[in-house]
Amino acid sequence: MANSNILGPARSRVDGPLKVTGYAKYAVEFEIPKCAYAWPVESNIAKGKITAIDIKAAQTSPGVLAVLTHQNASKMADAKGLFEEFAEAHGEDMSQGIRNEQRAPLADDEIHYAGQYVALVVAQTIEQARHAASLVRVSYAPELPILTMEDASKAKKPKKKQDETIQLRKGNVEPALANQNIIRLHETYSTPTETHNPIETSGTIAAWEGDDKLTVWDSTQFVKGVQSILARSYGLKIENVRVICPFVGGAFGCKGALWPHVLLATMAARATRVPVKFHLPRKAMFTGTGHRTPTSQTISLAATSNGKLQAIKHVTGTLTSPVGEFVEVCGARSTGVMYASETIRVEETVYPVNVATPTFMRAPGECPGVYALECALDELSYLLQMDPVELRLMNHAANHPIRDVPFSAKHLKEAYQLGAEKFGWSKRNPQTGQMRDGNLLVGWGMATATYPAHKMSAAAKAILHVDGRATVQCATHDLGTGAYTAFTQISSEQLGVPFEQVTFELGKSDYPFGPVAGGSNSTGTVGTAIHEVAQLLHRALAELAVKDARSPLHGSRPNDIAMVAPGRIALRKNPVTSDSFTDILQRAGRDSITVESELKDPEENEKLAFQSWGAHFCEVKIDSLLPRVQVTRVVSVMNCGRIVNAKTARSQIIGGVVMGIGMALTEETAYDPKTGLPAIANLADYHVPTNADVPPIEVYFVGEPDYAFNPIGARGMGEIGITGIAAAVANAVYHATGKRVRDLPITPDKLI
Amino acid sequence: MNPFDYSRPPDWQAAVNSVATDAQAKFLGGGTNLIDLMKMGVETPDRLVDINRLPLAQVEELPGNTGIRIGALVRNSDLAEHPLITARYPVLSEALLSGASPQLRNLATTGGNLLQRTRCYYFYDPAFPMCNKRNPGSGCGALEGYNRIHAILGQSEQCIATHPSDMCVALAMLDAVVRVQGPAGERAIPIANFHRLPGITPNVDTNLQTNELITAVDLPAIPFATRSHYLKVRDRASYAFALVSVAAALELENGMIKSARIALGGVAHKPWRAAKAEQALAGKKVEAAAFSAAADAELAAAKGYQYNSFKIELAKRAIVQALTTVAALP
Repeated sequence: MANSNILGPARSRVDGPLKVTGYAKYAVEFEIPKCAYAWPVESNIAKGKITAIDIKAAQTSPGVLAVLTHQNASKMADAKGLFEEFAEAHGEDMSQGIRNEQRAPLADDEIHYAGQYVALVVAQTIEQARHAASLVRVSYAPELPILTMEDASKAKKPKKKQDETIQLRKGNVEPALANQNIIRLHETYSTPTETHNPIETSGTIAAWEGDDKLTVWDSTQFVKGVQSILARSYGLKIENVRVICPFVGGAFGCKGALWPHVLLATMAARATRVPVKFHLPRKAMFTGTGHRTPTSQTISLAATSNGKLQAIKHVTGTLTSPVGEFVEVCGARSTGVMYASETIRVEETVYPVNVATPTFMRAPGECPGVYALECALDELSYLLQMDPVELRLMNHAANHPIRDVPFSAKHLKEAYQLGAEKFGWSKRNPQTGQMRDGNLLVGWGMATATYPAHKMSAAAKAILHVDGRATVQCATHDLGTGAYTAFTQISSEQLGVPFEQVTFELGKSDYPFGPVAGGSNSTGTVGTAIHEVAQLLHRALAELAVKDARSPLHGSRPNDIAMVAPGRIALRKNPVTSDSFTDILQRAGRDSITVESELKDPEENEKLAFQSWGAHFCEVKIDSLLPRVQVTRVVSVMNCGRIVNAKTARSQIIGGVVMGIGMALTEETAYDPKTGLPAIANLADYHVPTNADVPPIEVYFVGEPDYAFNPIGARGMGEIGITGIAAAVANAVYHATGKRVRDLPITPDKLI
Repeated sequence: MNPFDYSRPPDWQAAVNSVATDAQAKFLGGGTNLIDLMKMGVETPDRLVDINRLPLAQVEELPGNTGIRIGALVRNSDLAEHPLITARYPVLSEALLSGASPQLRNLATTGGNLLQRTRCYYFYDPAFPMCNKRNPGSGCGALEGYNRIHAILGQSEQCIATHPSDMCVALAMLDAVVRVQGPAGERAIPIANFHRLPGITPNVDTNLQTNELITAVDLPAIPFATRSHYLKVRDRASYAFALVSVAAALELENGMIKSARIALGGVAHKPWRAAKAEQALAGKKVEAAAFSAAADAELAAAKGYQYNSFKIELAKRAIVQALTTVAALP
């Protein structure tokens, strides 16, 4: 049941007042003297070569400082090294930054996808740049683009991700799938291209000091990654590249990798010798900063007549661009972990097409993967005439189904139980098309949610001041999630300093290393670094105290001393003998004391499996004549270890559910089938849910702190909310209508 | 966006003069569509003539109970909530409130709404090489493209775009009259003649001359318009253009339909007055079969494409639903 010891206090955001008053300064809002503005020219063919670029009219247009093209960029921006760096194969070391596109912008005359940058105009004002960009004339030798999975599979050898952790195999699925005496299901589910669409579009301001010092204000999920890539690209000392990003206005994965606009801004600033701001227009967000690849997923299930899974096979096809690196891994951490099946097979194939490069989008892989598997399980429940919750309980996996080690702090059964109770699931009529509200069809559906617990490396610096205030720093990020607040809470608790007296600083590459804010890793990873730096702080205070004749701890061994209460260290064995942080500093004549933790690889515990879990229950209502699906109620129960801030955590789950409703019902980036240009490339046509689409959403947390995972006990929860919700909605639509739509989004035309 | 001049004339005569002497000039009302199109590079006026200070923001009764007059600068939000509109023409209020978002409605004007341009993807983004509306003679990209939101009635091989306005569908149903001022004086254009079908000149949206200024929209007195309704079917609950919409009113007498008025949105290059359905309903009993027959009659000539054929069935169902709703009104 809901366990109060997992829920931290519901703190309002420490950055709330700055946000609502407009004082929170986002990356592109910094006012840099003499700053010029960039505007892109994008390819309107999807494949081919540039045969000529006429930039004369643009160059002579008022205010224009430079027009960069593949013909002049390398020389103008002295960017030869940059092109070479990008041509080299990129390893898997995510701590050095992430590139999903293995090509520097303006590197050559090749066009790989529509929307690719072919020129950049820099002018004194954004209006001048935009106008001059319209005067650039590009001539192409177009070739027939490959745009779909069907065409790609015929045209060239697809890429299989070779990694054994992705192509999973447990036993042999084929005998059970061929057994005509058991219950079997074989269906294909597809999801469309989805685009992140944070309200703050991506953007970069680049400012050079001479040729060897670079500062960028960049809207990013990874300041240290941007720093590392830029330093290597231009051959700069790492400390000579500064990246600043105190606030991010939403990201959802599209600001995790370094995208071409960051390089273009730095090239433009180098070429013009003035700072340059390149703030992406909304349209460029559909081609220039990644998207979620469409998927085609075939699920085959075999089960005994009482519902025991004998085989699960999950075969996925996804897309990437000809210059893309990213692979959406749909099955490995959904089908590969979720149910105790006798046999499991997961296959992933990636097809290159002439469409812009995809990237991480909230719960990358798991989100579409869980959708497909959880719809298939729902279909199986009808074949078995078994309640969908019962079917999942029947196949509950206490141990990791492939590694066969226990899951740590898994409380999924409680999540099903509490969710069913809060939702009123027992009142569900199992037949389809039977529940009504007046003229409206009513459907109830559910699905499991899951997301792996990821762990990365981070370090932190703590400064304790003699007046009792503390400052903690880490080059981590707040994407709008509430990270500032959660890290202030963790710092307060770990350091032993009142919440109001802690300042947590992030978003600067000057601070100790923070990893990419992705994969729901930040709270646990940075929390662990804060835990470590707090230990160092208490040790440093102990060392001062034991040398101070006026301290009650004088002469004790620092090893015997620890924090016993906020603001005090004491002998572990005799906590009455204690001293206060501020007294220690005061007597030592110190204004402050500073400690910094070391960056090291995270400790891995191979004896357990770490994964977060949850269950969504939802209700839809549908007019049978004009069948637009309205979600009217959602209950979500999550098991993510400890919840640091009950308020912002609840908001995170609500946000995931809202985004999942969009995935289920409305969101799709459609492309012109001939040219490959995105047809949908603005917020009017790309339908994220509006307030009117979002029902009351109840969120509950169950479980216990997962201290086997990290000392904070938190497994992270930024992604899990979106996993499973699209399946819960699709399953509810089937329950309401008797019609199974296996192709998202479920728009009215698919229910007519 | 290209460089342009800006002026703010003191009266409508000066406004009309500034546009009459400059073929590339455009009037600026709320700007919710024009500025967007300028940013996209679709509209490239060399001068914006800002008419926001002209005294055209009144809603007033016409003498002798002949109807009401809506000034061209009345904002969509104000019009939707105006007591004369909510009492006498609920269909118009509902249509306005179903469109755009509150922020857009607060700026968008009555005159500007009449001149909204299509949301066809191939028109809206100049990266697409083919669009006969934006670039006559270049072809229609939508015809064999992603045409999910496109027309099923009255289209041509040159253009299958739809008119995006909700307000205009209600106005078409209500037989509104658009009043315009030009160098030659004032004239009145019945709404049915205001917007055009694409034919071979899809680049011309309306019969308004480039040097004419919309000053008002007149609504005739229609007593039975109190029994009217606007039904909009869209992909999400709010802030989406219509897949199909229906403005309907019924004049009932002893359980019989004396006359019916129906207009459709989202299906054609202009707000589509459903004359065939209206004829089919006149003199019929109020019953579902009559509604279905009327819908079938109207959509008999409809033609769908790869992605939008569903609209034919959806339009029929929407007509039936709208009429059912109107018939049940008190």
